[in-house]
Amino acid sequence: MHSERDQLKQWILARHPETPDIDPDLDILENRLIDSLAFVEFMLLVSRLSGEEIDMETLDIDDFRTLRRIEERYFRAGVA
Amino acid sequence: MSTAATKASHVPEQSARFAEILKRLVDKSVDGYYNPYREFDWPDALPEQMPWMSEDLMSTYGTQVAEELTIEESQRLSRWESINFYSLNVEGIRELLIEVIKRIHTAGFELPSDFFHHFIGEENEHMWFFAEFCLRYGNKIYSGPKLHSIPHDNAQVENFLVFSRILLFEEIVDFYNMRMAADDSLHETIRKVNRVHHEDESRHIAFGRELVSMLYAELARTMTDQQRQEIEQYLKRYIVFSLRSFYNPQVYRDARIDKPLEFRERLVSDPARRDLERKVVRKPMSFMVKSGIFADDVLPAI
Repeated sequence: MHSERDQLKQWILARHPETPDIDPDLDILENRLIDSLAFVEFMLLVSRLSGEEIDMETLDIDDFRTLRRIEERYFRAGVA
Repeated sequence: MSTAATKASHVPEQSARFAEILKRLVDKSVDGYYNPYREFDWPDALPEQMPWMSEDLMSTYGTQVAEELTIEESQRLSRWESINFYSLNVEGIRELLIEVIKRIHTAGFELPSDFFHHFIGEENEHMWFFAEFCLRYGNKIYSGPKLHSIPHDNAQVENFLVFSRILLFEEIVDFYNMRMAADDSLHETIRKVNRVHHEDESRHIAFGRELVSMLYAELARTMTDQQRQEIEQYLKRYIVFSLRSFYNPQVYRDARIDKPLEFRERLVSDPARRDLERKVVRKPMSFMVKSGIFADDVLPAI
């Protein structure tokens, strides 16, 4: 059973075969692993996995910068 | 960086042809000028028992999911998908106005700047009537996350990508406009908004195809095959992104559909939708392949 963080990571890696792994503190937006074209689908994946309704108009982009931040904000499990 | 293609092409005949097309489009724009603020009758309300969107343009069309909806749910969905369509126009026009205004009367855009004045004026007016529709009949304009695309570090590539995105957006919207303008199951106000937009957009699309072809010809002189593939991949992803924006979970929530995210997931993963989406992008895909910008017509995952 994969954690939500692993599922998010796999979703990104499947779209970036040149990237071997993603550090939980890497800024995935600044590094264009998630760009403006992929962001909505990625955000909806976070919403589906967390069961939390995310308002597309008012969401805080910074909450999606790193896998750790996403986990803290939407899954509240913390990252080792 | 100068965009030589739009100043004076390396091929003089190409510049002459572009100047001639621009003159023709400007003349048409001047001759067909209308006052959008007086052009439309805006009834206080539109009938809720009529479709607001052509049935075959709905995000549910052709799927099992559509069969499961009640008539009331379908009618609510039709209303909110209609508001979503005009909202996408408002959002898209805002982005394209920003990009064109950044470039008008700057080095490299000497030739099309006169046309840009008409383009900007008309797009501003389109944005007004689309917003008017959304606010009058939906009391809202849907919006997306504010994550802006990071500009390409090569200005020549960035210019090409900007005008390619504008063209693709206009061509996709135009498919919807033409269908709804001709659909007599829709209210006349809806048909007219789509008809008027289509008439102006046919000039903008003609311009966009010329400009994109010229910018690409200029770019192709120096770019590597890898850069070409990256450009192709990015623009194809932009097409998929644009098609996905018609599956808006907020629309499904507003239509009071149970479990909107799962509903969306069922729709986007239904193979029947791929054929319908293909129809929407048939013309721009064919243009991109014929121009050599795309090597094939295969669309990627987003």
